[in-house]
Parts: sequence; structure tokens; C-alpha cells
Amino acid sequence: MMNDLFTPRDAVNVRRFNLWMIVTALFFAAGTIVLGEGFIPRVPVAWLFPFVGAVLGFGALRAYVHFLRNADELLRKIHLDALALGFGSGVIFMPVYRLCERLGAPKLDSVDPIIIFVLAWAIGQWRGFRRYSAVEAQ
Amino acid sequence: MNNQLRVLRAQRRWSQADLAQHVGVSRQTINAIETGKYDPSLPLAFAIARTFESQIEEIFQPAGSPSTGEVPTNREDTW
Repeated sequence: MMNDLFTPRDAVNVRRFNLWMIVTALFFAAGTIVLGEGFIPRVPVAWLFPFVGAVLGFGALRAYVHFLRNADELLRKIHLDALALGFGSGVIFMPVYRLCERLGAPKLDSVDPIIIFVLAWAIGQWRGFRRYSAVEAQ
Repeated sequence: MNNQLRVLRAQRRWSQADLAQHVGVSRQTINAIETGKYDPSLPLAFAIARTFESQIEEIFQPAGSPSTGEVPTNREDTW
């Protein structure tokens, strides 16, 4: 049974990517708390946290690339447009905010531009789905 | 790009979902092609033509006048 937006293959691939992302995000959140609160002393074994985080991150990246390469062509176009919007927004945001910091704006954490990227990426997808939405009767 | 998808579909009494299933894309893709919001890739255009047992040029025609060789503008370049 075909979904409006996803073919069955796309649905499986996007579910796999989402699962990787959830596991990766939960791991990073847990790692930040555990290492930040000092539950684990900063011994060599603690370096496993960033290592495992990187492995999970690459797993998510691989799942996303697999999804994109096999995606329905319109879905791929929507995602590539959204990625361009996200990347461009992040690149513009960084130097612009650097100037704002010099004018007195609060200093940002180094990971904050990622939020801009993800937000713009999500907005780009929403715009794409709206633009090509199937509003006509089947 | 203009196309005859809706007409060909109607002749066969197919829904957009039926055609989507035949060519292996989402219904949204078929709808976007029919409404002229999206131009299909060459492999998909071939798959559609094969499904309707037609030539590509019988289904898809460029929006610009072929006699003048006018290059159609890409509407998708807008924000």
C-alpha cells in the first residue's frame, strides 16, 4: 500500500534513519550528563563515550545517505533542497552572529549553529512537502 | 513541461496511486508531475511511457514552443 509521501521502501528507510537518530541523540544526551556530572571519572575508559557517539553518528549518517540514494525522486529533491537551506543558513548564521557577539550579544556554544542547521533543514522539508503536496483527488 | 498523464490515466481508469504503484514512486510524485510542479527524471519518464505503451514525446511536451526553439524557464527556481 503506497503512502502519499513515501513508497514502502522509503518508509522502511526513513524509519531506520529515525531509529539511528533517536539512539544517537539519547546516547549523546546521556553521555553529556554522565561525563558532565562526573559519574564516571575521567579515566581512559571514559573516552569510549565520544568514540561510541561517533560510531552511532556515522551509523545515522549512513542510514540517511542510504535513504536519500534510494528515495523516490521527488522526496530526494525535497530533502536535497532542505539540506541546502539548512547548510546555507548555518554558514550565514555563524559569521553574522560573530558580529552580533562583538556588539554585545551573548556568546554562543560551539554546537548552537547545529540547531540553526537542523531548524532550517526541518523548515525546508516542510516547505517542500507543502509545495508539492498532493491536494488533488486520487 | 506539459503532459498527458491525467488523460492517459483516465482512459485506463487508474488513480494516481495506481500509476504510482506501477512505476514505483509515491502518489505525491505523480500528482506533482500531473500538476506541472515537478518534471520527472528521464528514467521515470521512460518508466511512465513504458507503462502507457507510448513514446515519451507523446506524453511529455516542452512548455516552450518547439518551432522557435525557445528554452522554457524553470519555474522551480523560485523561492
